[in-house]
Amino acid sequence: MSVRQWAADLMLGVRFAFTGGREGWTRAVLTAVGVGLGVALLLLTTAIPSALSVRHEREAARSDITFASDPMPKANDTLVIARLDDYFREDDLRGRALEPEGPRAPLPPGVDKFPAVGEMVVSPALKELLESDSGALLRERLPDRIVGTIAEDGLIGSAELAYYRGAEGLAEQISQGRVERIDRFGDPEPGEEDSDPVLLLLVLVVFVVLLMPVAVFIAAAVRFGGERRDRRLAALRLVGSDSRMTRRIAAGEALAGAVLGLVFGAAFFMVGRQLAGSAEVFRISVFPSYLNPSPLLALLVAVAVPAAAVLVTLFALRGVVIEPLGVVRAGRPARRRLWWRLILPLAGLAMLYPMIGNGRENGDFNQYLVTGGVVLLLVGVTALLPWVVESVVARLGSGGVAWQLAVRRLQLSSGTAARMVNGIAVAVAGAIALQMLFAGVDDDYTKSTGQDVSRAQMEAQLPSGVPMAPAAEKFRDTRGVRAVYAFSEGYLGDRARDPEHGTMITVGDCASLREVSELPSCTDGDVFAVHGAEWDTGEDMSKLAAPGRKLYSDPTYEGGPTKQAVPWTVPQGIKTAKARPGLVAGTDRGGFLITPGALPDTLGPTLDGHAYLKVDESVADVQDLVRNTAAAIDPLADTVTWAETERTDRFDAIRTGLFVGAACVLALIGASLLVSQLEQLRERKKLLSALVAFGTRRRTLSLSVLWQTAIPILLGLLLSMAVGLTLGTVLLKMTSTPVRVDWTGVLSMTGIGAAVVLVVTLCSLPPLLRLMRPEGLRTE
Amino acid sequence: MTPPAGSLLSAEALRKAYGPTLALDGAEFSIHPGEVVAVMGPSGSGKSTLLHCLAGIVTPDSGTITYNGRELSAMSDAQRSALRRSDFGFVFQFGQLVPELTCVENVALPLRLNGTPRKEAERTALTWMERLEVDDLRKKRPGEVSGGQGQRVAVARSLVTNPRVLFADEPTGALDSLNGERVMELLTDAARSTNAAVVLVTHEARVAAYSDREIVVRDGKSRDMERIV
Repeated sequence: MSVRQWAADLMLGVRFAFTGGREGWTRAVLTAVGVGLGVALLLLTTAIPSALSVRHEREAARSDITFASDPMPKANDTLVIARLDDYFREDDLRGRALEPEGPRAPLPPGVDKFPAVGEMVVSPALKELLESDSGALLRERLPDRIVGTIAEDGLIGSAELAYYRGAEGLAEQISQGRVERIDRFGDPEPGEEDSDPVLLLLVLVVFVVLLMPVAVFIAAAVRFGGERRDRRLAALRLVGSDSRMTRRIAAGEALAGAVLGLVFGAAFFMVGRQLAGSAEVFRISVFPSYLNPSPLLALLVAVAVPAAAVLVTLFALRGVVIEPLGVVRAGRPARRRLWWRLILPLAGLAMLYPMIGNGRENGDFNQYLVTGGVVLLLVGVTALLPWVVESVVARLGSGGVAWQLAVRRLQLSSGTAARMVNGIAVAVAGAIALQMLFAGVDDDYTKSTGQDVSRAQMEAQLPSGVPMAPAAEKFRDTRGVRAVYAFSEGYLGDRARDPEHGTMITVGDCASLREVSELPSCTDGDVFAVHGAEWDTGEDMSKLAAPGRKLYSDPTYEGGPTKQAVPWTVPQGIKTAKARPGLVAGTDRGGFLITPGALPDTLGPTLDGHAYLKVDESVADVQDLVRNTAAAIDPLADTVTWAETERTDRFDAIRTGLFVGAACVLALIGASLLVSQLEQLRERKKLLSALVAFGTRRRTLSLSVLWQTAIPILLGLLLSMAVGLTLGTVLLKMTSTPVRVDWTGVLSMTGIGAAVVLVVTLCSLPPLLRLMRPEGLRTE
Repeated sequence: MTPPAGSLLSAEALRKAYGPTLALDGAEFSIHPGEVVAVMGPSGSGKSTLLHCLAGIVTPDSGTITYNGRELSAMSDAQRSALRRSDFGFVFQFGQLVPELTCVENVALPLRLNGTPRKEAERTALTWMERLEVDDLRKKRPGEVSGGQGQRVAVARSLVTNPRVLFADEPTGALDSLNGERVMELLTDAARSTNAAVVLVTHEARVAAYSDREIVVRDGKSRDMERIV
């Protein structure tokens, strides 16, 4: 057999794909759309690492943290920068105040000119928000005139809300922690973050779980219109082509669809890339320029997808006997064998087994074994499902006509049905395993903040020197604020330099002080010494609280900045108070409690202000109203919305990645299910019309279509539960985490899978009803 | 207009267009119980459309169809479907058997659609399969039998409900002459034995020879050959 003959056969197939009239085109386009959607998702996946890396680089390039212990001296190339990061509603708001100290002060990336005082440069998303009605509340906080926008290289995403505003007098506040002097932007010590093996495992499994259904989908897409193609091949046999030639022609047809699919995929990707620039999913946005697939991976997709398409087609033709008499007889297929189908998941388990018990301490998991093991286990679902469907439907008895039509159809072609639900089954199995893994390791990455949200829901920290009483009043006047516990806090040492003993000092009115301690009685002018607080030793307080003893507020420590410690004498008549559980667990307030009447004026500027706020969360935007008030009190004021728990960012990022990916995959699978369902119905148009002609009720046929989908999906979901729970158990054992099944999660994953099928079935009913019109017989 | 006396099914002044194509243009038809009427004509003449209108599958744009004294066009879609289940039988060119069902299940299908229990339906189906000499195929699927055998199964399916009218659209179109003749013999014999009227659409004179009367359709108009003679 010459290469020329091969090429001629393949080309004939390619021609058939496009010259078969409207139906030929429809089939080619359907295949191409299917493959294209898969290719686009694959390209997107290959572009994600580069997008994340660009985001990381941009974040590092605009970094303004110096990690220096000594403040940098003022020079003509220095800039004082204050971090004003905040939130607007649920969105992060990155803010910086800039005060250049000389002509060579460094400009932040993406900014070509320093904004003057009263001006600001904003990101395009923030500009749009501030100019819209929904940004009116934020406009109150950021009243500066917008004089420019931050360019792409100064942002990490198209939807990022960021601004740089001009400021003056910042240098005086350098000791405040949020203000620094810098001479350049950029991470001074760039480096890779240490990889946590469990997070690495999660990333690997997330990728595999998301990509597997895409591969299954591509395999299903190239089989669209198989029956019609078989009839065409039979006609070719009639005019003299042998069975090998027909297979090559079929391969050519598949190749054409797949190559067109590559083109479609590239186009979908380009469109998606542009759309990605205007979309924000789970609070992550990117610029289109970030989404550049790795050339090697893109090449792999371009080669692997058409090759897989051809292989799947040839594999699908195995059981089909194409005869020359214009008839395609699918010989009664041999019963599916279980042994080799079991080998796949078992081999997967064998690959994962050596890593069981490795845990976090024993270093990395072998990436290849993990990926291989998970892939084999999930591929095992696609291999086992046809066997399970065949074995079960063979045992199903006859019921009503709808049931009988469905069961008989499944008995005759259980493979088609299994292929339809394979994608969902794989996705659900992977999702269940991941859900278990996430739930299992969740505790490790979720820590309690200790914040008592029943006593306060927000906290505002004010810089030193801001008078607390008027600030508290402003908070009280803010709509939605129910109560304010305001304190000025500082530290007292027994010496002005390098104190040996020291304790906290808290200033507040009686009502606020009662929130943090049990006071015997309280009037303005009282001073209390708190004994028995968790962080204070009784010895310290008994020594420090002796009346007449001189203590120093804001002392200087060796190695730290020199401060002007302010002396304070413990007054006669000091009262004793008992600590109450702190607003934040483990931070019972000890030391001295002072009412405003007893506070000398000299001490005030050394204290930081803290206000704990009770807010009415039913008031719309109450958090932003508080943030606006805080910003009006002092731009360097920092607000925190309290929550009972917080999770590490990377864990959240992986989880978010899973949700984004799962949403895309489920949409893709849903689309593929719908297309293949419609394809099958179209193939049976005449038969459906004939059945209606002799009086079959439409309800009967609709129900039969529902059964045809419901039976394999039920079996698929049961199998995916079994495989998902097995994989989840193994993954948890690998991380040495106690195995716990989160049944709510398992059932919700299964439910989502079932819901996708139900929605697809419902969407296919209107076309089904159209196809059942007796007019379909006209072409008879 | 009144239908011809004693006719079971009749049509008058039927018009039906598919877009700009006029398929029927004033066609007329009538058939009596037990009568076999061949509808003849070249391809595209409108004979299949006439059959579909007569069977209530397609609604004509104008004209009247009367079955057993009832106006078909006055019936709802559900009523016409019920009529097709109970009173009409169908044979198509390619059989249109349900490929997933065995032959006996295919034959029993119309009875089951009428609510007959499965076992009873299959028992009756088997009787008809014996009459059409295909009872040995009962457990085979349509894909496993020859074209002629499949068509005989389709004829059995069309007769299993004891229809009063049997519509056959090119029933031998996909068969060789020997098989075609055998199918026609069995079909007409079975229909006559149950006094069913047969509307036989064909363009083969050889097949039309099994009929009692011929109607020729050309350009959407019908001509009753018996009346002309």
